[in-house]
Amino acid sequence: MLNMFNKKSLRIFLLLALVLSLTLTGCQNNNEVLDESSTEEAVNETIQVVDEDETIVLAGKRHLAPGEEDGYYCSSILYVWEPLIRQGKNGEPLPSLAEDWEMSEDGKEWIFKLREGVTFHDGQVFNADAVIANFDRMSLGIKPSSYYPLDIDSHYPGLVSYEKIDDYNIKLVFDESKPTQLYRMINWGSAIYSPENFDEEGNFNGIAMGTGPFKIVDNQKDDYVLLERYEDYWGESAKAKSIKVRSIPDVDTRYSALKAGEIHGTLDLDSLTPALAEELKKDDNFLIAESKSTMIRFLVTNGELEPFNDIRLKEAISLALNRQDIVDIVYFGYGSPTTNILNYSTPFYKEYPVEENMERAKELAKEVLGEERLETEFLINGNDPTQKTEAELIAPWLAEIGIDVTIQPMEYSVLRERLKEGDFGFARLQQGLSNGEPSTIFRRFMLTSGDHNKNYSLGYDIEEVNNLMESANKELDVNNLETIYDKVQELSTTTYPVFPLFNDVNIMGYSNKLSNYNAELYGLELPEVEWTK
Amino acid sequence: MKKYIIERMKSLFIVLVGITIITFLLGLITPGDPAELSLSRGGNYSPTSEQIEQRREEMGLNKPVYIQYLDWIKGVLKGDFGESYSSNESVSEMIRRKLPITVKLALYSIGITSFLGISLGIISAIYKDTLIDGSINLMNNIMLSLPNFWLALLFILFFSEILGWLPTSGNGGWKHMLMPAFSLSLVTIATTARVMRSSMIQEFGKQYYLALKSKGISKFNLYIRNILPNSILPILTLLANFMGSILGGSAVIETIFALPGIGSYAIESIYLKDFPYLQAYVLITGFVFVLVTTLIDIVSIIIDPKIRIGADSYEN
Repeated sequence: MLNMFNKKSLRIFLLLALVLSLTLTGCQNNNEVLDESSTEEAVNETIQVVDEDETIVLAGKRHLAPGEEDGYYCSSILYVWEPLIRQGKNGEPLPSLAEDWEMSEDGKEWIFKLREGVTFHDGQVFNADAVIANFDRMSLGIKPSSYYPLDIDSHYPGLVSYEKIDDYNIKLVFDESKPTQLYRMINWGSAIYSPENFDEEGNFNGIAMGTGPFKIVDNQKDDYVLLERYEDYWGESAKAKSIKVRSIPDVDTRYSALKAGEIHGTLDLDSLTPALAEELKKDDNFLIAESKSTMIRFLVTNGELEPFNDIRLKEAISLALNRQDIVDIVYFGYGSPTTNILNYSTPFYKEYPVEENMERAKELAKEVLGEERLETEFLINGNDPTQKTEAELIAPWLAEIGIDVTIQPMEYSVLRERLKEGDFGFARLQQGLSNGEPSTIFRRFMLTSGDHNKNYSLGYDIEEVNNLMESANKELDVNNLETIYDKVQELSTTTYPVFPLFNDVNIMGYSNKLSNYNAELYGLELPEVEWTK
Repeated sequence: MKKYIIERMKSLFIVLVGITIITFLLGLITPGDPAELSLSRGGNYSPTSEQIEQRREEMGLNKPVYIQYLDWIKGVLKGDFGESYSSNESVSEMIRRKLPITVKLALYSIGITSFLGISLGIISAIYKDTLIDGSINLMNNIMLSLPNFWLALLFILFFSEILGWLPTSGNGGWKHMLMPAFSLSLVTIATTARVMRSSMIQEFGKQYYLALKSKGISKFNLYIRNILPNSILPILTLLANFMGSILGGSAVIETIFALPGIGSYAIESIYLKDFPYLQAYVLITGFVFVLVTTLIDIVSIIIDPKIRIGADSYEN
């Protein structure tokens, strides 16, 4: 019996082997045939007529329209809603739904003239009543969001009242002068939706109805959102008829989807890693779009502990960091080294030289530590693998100045707890800039009473900064304010509340079948994207 | 039999209550403030102390712990799992949207595992100690040693990027399910094949097998109609456990293939301390796991008279 099975099995095995080899040979032949005909196909492709109505498919790592309970319903990069004030290419405030504005002499009152002839996607007319309805909604309390919390106190601090002057003028009154209020209102700070779009709790009662060049026609949460050109848009119409934005959380899958032609481009934060972007560059069918990011990455030390509170050791640490190497080695050059605490996307940002001087760093550290070596922990977010690579690069530099660090990856919430308790030596953090007004960053990190100063145990206490920020509060002239902010930035580079490493770069990949894939500060100019003709 | 089922249902209830308490307590003892995390989105935004305090109040986190637990339990009994700390969305709605996708993935995986695992096991047993058996064993060893996330990426590379046969990701028809289901199934195909093989080989040593074979009945009747029913029981238990492990462990595969099932958000909910979602997830997967195991026990009793005798002792 067994012999019979053995003979039979041998026959079956040989048959299978034959079928397999024939299949493989067949595949190979097919490939060869394909290779031979590839030139012809390429020629055919070039003369194919592009169907301009075909849906463009893009993808990001998260779903860009979280829905009714999200403070904004969807990301600004979908161009579904528009703000009163939009952001220019250099971070400056530009007219959007508010076409003009005026500040009172004392800086406490702002009057905004609203654009006429604008309609929401649900047909409602955009006017002062619509804007007031949006302020009423914001007054109901903080609305969490996948992007930035919708918080009236954050975007309109000290707002005393908001009122309609007439159908196309509104007035905001503040308890003290707000000369830079426009910067706070950029994009997320003044998103406007149809007044019929909210329920009693201030949540959306359906798909978001904005005034943007695209309207949402289908939103499958965590899967995709389908956009269609809004034909009654007040400005220049979007070039693409419809765009589908998929959610593909895994970056490798996103990359493969792009290469396989399933999607035509990536967008949103971290849409491609620098390594994958470099890989994509090797393929002529794809291109990379880059823009400044609002994110800054930095190190903090426990300034409430000796010897980290010694300015000489702080300077030594800063000088020991080779920021350019971090950007080049870990991020393939996608980043901009900086020593400034302020992100480079705001027009108030000032460039300072980034100095690396290991010999000087050693001398300064020796003055503080003497011959002793300092042992401490370097906390990193374990969910971000690049932070470990970064830390492994930084650790030997610190060792050279006498600081031996143990790298400790951990969950972000645990890391925050450790920072608050002051149970650390070094930690790696990052900070986004929600609008172009820089004072929030200065106040939170550099004021003695600043919440980040306390919660990150920075131990930063410079009287000059406190005084400068107090005078900024009273300053009405934007030019004078800029001078104050310059001084504070300069102080941040010499007194080290934190150790900025680099400003991020947004990286997006796209197929050469698309044109005008122009990266912006956050996202891309979606209305300009179209099929290559 | 009835009493046995009632006893199992009682233990099911106790297990579920235990799961809810443990999940709730684990949420409390782990560090991190859900209110802050719900606003900070993993560190991309830093909320102010005032914003955090207002959010804590809205989320009910300032209430005593036992009140929070009782409030939650009351809601669960009415089918309301509360609102996600992260998105404010109704957790019941999230589960309603996500669960069918994970169940679909689980069914595809179970189908593939059952078909291939049992078939390979039967072939391997019939052709015991032959080249075929050896090849299947080698294949099983390879499948057992490959991590599913790595396989998933390889599948995407070959079948989507290079060959263009299957979509890389997304929720859609059967083509979208093939790679995720295979990635999840390979290890269990190997395990099922091994258990099936040894279970059948055990039957070969029994008197009834020799008697049937000597009668000269057809191979199909011998192996499929007589041996298979006697050797399938361990496989049923294995598949039931597999069903549970898919529901509870498909997070990585769902993330890689962009399938918005219940697992894909589970990992993120741990980082974000989105306890309402996490508790619902654990409760539902726990419930399904215990329920499926109980059902399999009952099916086993029906199939195998020997187990029925054990279950009947509950009647005495």
